[in-house]
Amino acid sequence: MSIEVRHIHKSFGPVHANNDISLKFDDGRIYGILGENGAGKSTLMKILSGFYLPDSGEIFVDGKPVHYTDPQGAIEAGIGMLQQDPLDIGPFTVLENFVYGRPDGALPDWQAAREQLQQLSARFHFDLNPDVTIERLSIGQRQQLEIIRLLALGVRVLILDEPTTGISALQKSVLFGSLKRLAKEDGLTVLFVSHKLEDVLELCDEVAVLRLGRLVGQAKLPVTTDELVAMMFGQELAPPSHEKVAPGDVVLEVRDLTVASHRVTVEGLNLQIRAGEVVGLAGLDGSGQELLMRASVGLLKPLKGRVLINGQDMTGRPFRAFLEAGVGFGAAGRLEEGLVSGLTLTEHFALVDPEQRAWIDWERARAVTEERINHYNIYGRPDSPIETLSGGNQQRVLMALMPSSPHILVLEHPTRGLDVESARWIWEQILARRSEGTAVLFTSADLDEIMTYSDRILVFYAGQVTEVTEPESTTVEELGHLIGGQGIRKEAAA
Amino acid sequence: MNRRRLLILVLLVAMLLPAGSGLAQDDEFVFGMVLVGPRNDHGWSEAHFTAGRYVEEHVENSRMVFFESLNPADAPETTLAQVVEEMVSEGARLIFTTSDAFEEDTLEVAQNHPDVVFINASGDDVLTGEAPSNEGNVMGNMVWGKQIAGCAAALATETGSIGYLGPLINDETRRLASSVYLGARYCYENYRGMNPDDLEFTVTWIGFWFNIPGVTLDPTEETQRFFDQGADVVVSGIDTTEAIVVAGQRAEEGEAVWAVPYDYEGACAEAPDICLGVPYFNWGPAYTEIAEAVKNGEWEQGWNWNSPYWDDLTDNDRTAVGWVMGDGLNEDQQAQLEEFIAFLAEQDSGSLDQDTVREEGRSLGLWVGPLNLQDGTPLAEEGEVVVPIDVWYLEQLLEGMTGDSE
Amino acid sequence: MSDGRLASRRFLGVALTLGSIAASLLLTALIIIAVGASPLEVFDKIWQGIGMKPDGIDPGRFAGVVNFWIPLALASFGLVISFTAGLWNIGVEGQMMFGAIFASWVAREIFLPSVLLVPLELIAAAIGGALWGALAGVLKTRGGVHEIFGGVALNNLASIYAIYLIAGPWQPPEGGSLQSTAPFQEAALLQPVSSGFRVSLLALVLVAVAFVVVAVALRGTRWGLELKALGKSPRSALLLGVATDRNAVLAIAACGAFAGLGGAFRVLFTYGSMRPLVSGGIGFLGLLVVLLTGTRTIWVPFVSFFFAAILAGSTRLKIALQLDQSLAGVVQGILVLMVILANGVRGRMQGQVITRLPEQTPTGAQPQSEEAASG
Repeated sequence: MSIEVRHIHKSFGPVHANNDISLKFDDGRIYGILGENGAGKSTLMKILSGFYLPDSGEIFVDGKPVHYTDPQGAIEAGIGMLQQDPLDIGPFTVLENFVYGRPDGALPDWQAAREQLQQLSARFHFDLNPDVTIERLSIGQRQQLEIIRLLALGVRVLILDEPTTGISALQKSVLFGSLKRLAKEDGLTVLFVSHKLEDVLELCDEVAVLRLGRLVGQAKLPVTTDELVAMMFGQELAPPSHEKVAPGDVVLEVRDLTVASHRVTVEGLNLQIRAGEVVGLAGLDGSGQELLMRASVGLLKPLKGRVLINGQDMTGRPFRAFLEAGVGFGAAGRLEEGLVSGLTLTEHFALVDPEQRAWIDWERARAVTEERINHYNIYGRPDSPIETLSGGNQQRVLMALMPSSPHILVLEHPTRGLDVESARWIWEQILARRSEGTAVLFTSADLDEIMTYSDRILVFYAGQVTEVTEPESTTVEELGHLIGGQGIRKEAAA
Repeated sequence: MNRRRLLILVLLVAMLLPAGSGLAQDDEFVFGMVLVGPRNDHGWSEAHFTAGRYVEEHVENSRMVFFESLNPADAPETTLAQVVEEMVSEGARLIFTTSDAFEEDTLEVAQNHPDVVFINASGDDVLTGEAPSNEGNVMGNMVWGKQIAGCAAALATETGSIGYLGPLINDETRRLASSVYLGARYCYENYRGMNPDDLEFTVTWIGFWFNIPGVTLDPTEETQRFFDQGADVVVSGIDTTEAIVVAGQRAEEGEAVWAVPYDYEGACAEAPDICLGVPYFNWGPAYTEIAEAVKNGEWEQGWNWNSPYWDDLTDNDRTAVGWVMGDGLNEDQQAQLEEFIAFLAEQDSGSLDQDTVREEGRSLGLWVGPLNLQDGTPLAEEGEVVVPIDVWYLEQLLEGMTGDSE
Repeated sequence: MSDGRLASRRFLGVALTLGSIAASLLLTALIIIAVGASPLEVFDKIWQGIGMKPDGIDPGRFAGVVNFWIPLALASFGLVISFTAGLWNIGVEGQMMFGAIFASWVAREIFLPSVLLVPLELIAAAIGGALWGALAGVLKTRGGVHEIFGGVALNNLASIYAIYLIAGPWQPPEGGSLQSTAPFQEAALLQPVSSGFRVSLLALVLVAVAFVVVAVALRGTRWGLELKALGKSPRSALLLGVATDRNAVLAIAACGAFAGLGGAFRVLFTYGSMRPLVSGGIGFLGLLVVLLTGTRTIWVPFVSFFFAAILAGSTRLKIALQLDQSLAGVVQGILVLMVILANGVRGRMQGQVITRLPEQTPTGAQPQSEEAASG
C-alpha cells in the first residue's frame, strides 16, 4: 500500500511544526525519517496515524484521498503507529492487550486470538507469553506486542517512532529482522523515525530528512553518515571537550546499600562520589542502576544501608530534603517526571525560583523565564505550555530548571531521544557545572556516551555491580560483555 | 430565526402564559398538602396523600396542591416557608403539614399567614398553647388501635412472649408500645385465663421509623432475634414491613410465629396466614371535615385526637383509626377480639377533656389504674383513669415491660 | 497562531457552549412533552419561581434562589481549590455537615451577643469543615486511601454523627424525633435584610470575600501555583520541589473550610436548627458546578447561580404543575452532560483530543505521594 502526503501544515501555537511537507512512500520499502529534535518528524507521523489533524494538506492511500480524525480511523485506513513510549494498558495480560481495540473487542474469540498471537510471535521470533501482565514486560517486549497487535488489525503501513530507544541489542536485531521481513515478504510500508544514524543506515532503503518543520532532503541508500549529518545539520559535530577535574570532597556516599524493585535487588553496595567526578552507570534497563539513582535522591527508600550527602546522613528523608541539600535530579520521562504538562514555561520557572515566596511576582517570573530562554537557547515563549515544546527543547527546560550550582547532578538518560546537536549541548551544560565542582551521576543506554564522559563506570548486571575505573582503556566490546553478565568479577565498588 | 417565526413564538408563549397561571377561580377551594416523604411510600406520607385525594372527592370544587419529600436531603433547595408561599400564591386557604418534622416551621408560617389555616398532623402546638389561632393539630388516636393489636398478640401467643419492634423513643412511641402491652395483658388474662404477670413483653427500639443502614438497628435482624429468644409474636411499631416478612419466612419453615404490622392498610398481604391484623391511620374523614369547615368559614382551632368509628373499624369514610382483621387468628380468636373491640368501644367516652373522663370513669380503654410506670412510680390508683393528656405525654414505659424508656 | 485563528477558536467555544445549552433545552422540552406537560409552561413556571414577574421581581422568591445559591457558591469556591490540586473531593458533603455541626455546637453552648456569637460560629464552622477535609487528605497521603473512597466514608460518618447528635445529646426537650434539634437562640442566627427579602447580608459578604480569596490565592500566590502543578502532574510537581502531601491535605482542608461555612449557613439561616443531612447534596451539586467551570473561579458564581435558580425555581414548578419532583434535576443533568459534551467536541475539533493520553502509560504519572516515594 503506498501512502502520500501533500502540502501538510501543522502549527502548535507559535511553532510551525510541519511546513508544507509533501512525501510519497511506496509499499515493500523501509523509509528512515531523520531530523533533529523539533524538526517535525513526530508531528508528521502523528498526523499520518490520526493522533493529530493537519491544519491543511491531504493524505492519499493508493492514490485515493483519505480523511480520518482519530487513530482508529487511521488503522481502518491501514496505517498504524508504535509510540515512542508504548501506550499499552498496565494491569492487563498480553492477550487482553492484543484483543484490545479490535472490532470484536466486546465479545472476542479468545482461543482464536491466542492462536493468532502465538503464530505471529513465532514468525518474528518475538518473546511474548500471552498470560503475562503488561507491566512485567520490558520496553522491547511491549513494542513487539504493539507490532503484532497492529498487524492483526490489518495495518499495511507501520510507523515506528524511535523504536530502538531503551531496548536491548538482541531485541533490536529481532526488531530489524521482523521489519525487513514485513517489508520484503508482506509488502508493508515501514516508516522508521530515528535520530540514530547507524540504525537508519542498517535498516532503511530510503531516507527523508526534516529540519525546522520543512522537508530538506531525500536520498536512496547507501549514503554515508557524514552525508546524512550534513543534511540534518549542515555540518559535522564533535563531542564537547571535557577535561578531568581534580576530585574534591565526597558529596555522595552510599554505605552498605540494599535497594530492591520487584525485578531486581542491589545488595550491599558501597560507593563514594567526589566533587567534580562524572560517574556513568551502564547496564540493560532494569539491572539495578535506576534503583541506585533513585535511592541517592530520596525517591526510593533503601531496605538497608545509608545515603549521605556531603557527609550528612539523609537516609529516609524525603526528596525535598535532598533538593535542599543540593541534589539535582533529572528523570528519564520528561513530561511524566520533571515537567508539568499544562503549565507554561513562566510557571515552571516561578515554581523553582527560591525568591518567589507567598506572593508570586509575575513580572520577575517572566523576566527570569526570558533570561533562561535566551541562555539555554530554548525554542518557545514564556507563555508557551510546556507540552507544545519539542523533546529537545523540553530537555533544555529541564536543565534550566535544575539548581544552578548543585553539589551533585543525578541524571537518568540525559540525552535519550535527542539528536546529536541537542545531546552535545546538554553535555556542554553538564560539563560546565562539573567544572565548578558539581559531581555527576548518570545513566545511558548509549555506551559511547558513557565511555566519552565518565571518569568511572559502574556496570550493572542483574543487580551486581562491576566497576571500570579507567574508561579510556576499555572498549565497547568489553563493556558489552559486562552488561551481558559475562566476566563479572566479584569485586566491591570503591 | 426570521422575524415572522419570532412573532409566532412570542404569540405562542403569550397564549400559554395565562393557561399556566393556576390562580384559584372564585368558587374553587384550594388546599395544600406538604409531605415529608414521597407520595407513594406505602406508609405515612402515602396515607396523607390518599387522604388529600379523598378530600378532593368529597369536598365540592376542591383542589389539592401538594409538595412531596420536603426534607433537607431530597429538597435542599427549599423550605416549608417557601413551599407555603407558593401554595398560598396558588390560592390555598388550608395547608396540611403532615409531619412532626414541620412542627416548628408550621408555627412560624402560621404567624406569617394569619388568613390561612394550618393543620399540623401529629403535633401538639395547640395543646401546649404555642399555636396561633389559625393553627390546628390532628391525629388519629392510635392508642385504640394498638390496644387491639396487643390483644390479638395475646390471643395468638403460645410461648407467652411478645416482641415489640419500636422506632425511636419519644412520647408518642412510648404511649403506643404501652398501649400494646395493656391490650396484651388484658386479653392474656381474660380470654386465655393466664396470669398476666407471666406475660413477657420486650421492646426493642431500632432508632428510626425505618431501617437506615449504619444508623439504626436492622429491623430484620431484631425480628429474628425476638423469635430466636422465644417470642412467637412480633408487633411492629415501625413504618416498614420487616416484622411480618420475617415471620412469614419462619412460618413457611414450619415455625408457629405471627406478626402484627403497622401503618398501611394492605400490610397483611406480605404474609396473610400469619398476620394477626393491622392497625392503620385513616386521615380522609378528619381532613374532609376540616376542609369543609374551613371552606364554610366555620373552622375552629382544636387539638383533634380522633377515635375510631367503633361500629365498623374498616369503614374508611368514617374511622380515623382502622383495624383490619388478619387470617392469622382463627374464628374463635376473631370472635374474642370482636368482643374485646366492643368492650373498648364502651370504654370510649368520646371526650378528651380531663374532667369529663374523670367524671365518667372511662377514658382511653385500658388506661385505668392500678398502673405504675416502669420505675415503679404510680401512674394511676386502683380504678382511677389516666387522663388523655397524661397518656399523650407518657414519660416512661409501664411496669412489667422490658425495654428502654429513654 | 494568528489572531484570526484565535478569534475563530474563541467563537467556536462560545458557539458550542450556546449550542449545547440550546440542545439541552430542546432535549428537556422533549422529555417534558413525554411526561405530558407543556415545556413552555414548565420553563415559565421556573422563571416565575425564581421571582420574575412581568412587572418586576418578587423579592420572596428571589430570596429563595439567593439562599440556595449562598451555600452552593461557598462549597463550589472550595471545590475549585481541591479541583486545582487534582483532587476529587467527594467528601465535601461531610465537610459541610461538620461545618454545620461545629456552628451548631457554638450556637447551642455559647451565649454571647450576636455580633460576637455569629463570627465565632462561622470560625468554628470553617475549622470543623477544614478538619474533616484534612482527615480525608491525611487518609489519602498517609493511608493511601483514594480521596473518593475516603470522602464517601467520611460523608457517611459525618451523617451518622449528625443523626446521633440530633437523636441523642442534642435532642429537643420533647424527645428525639430525629428530625431536628430545638431551634437555636435568636442571637445565634444570621438575620435577614427584611421580612420581605429574607436574605442575609452577612452571608452575601461572606460569598464575595470567599470569591476574592479563592481567585487571588489561585492566581497570585505560590501556593496556588503549587496546587496547579500538583493537579496537573503530582509526580513532576514532587520533582520540582513541591511538598505534594502537605499541599494535598491543605487543599482539601481549604475546600472543607469553605464547605463548612456553607454548612453553617444552612443551620444558622435556612433552618435555624441542626438537621440530619443538612448539606442536602449541595456539595455534590458543587462538584457539578466545578465540573463545568473547571478551575476558572470567575465562572463559579454564575454557574452556581444558574443551578440555584433552576432548582429553587422548580419549587413553584412542582406546586403549580404537580409534576414529578425530579424534573428539575433532569434539566440540570442534561445541561451538565451537554456542556461537557461540547467541551469534548471542541477539544476534538481543535485536534487536541489524543485518544490515549500519554499520562496513561504504566510508568506514567500516577499520583504518587512523597511518602510512597521516600518510603
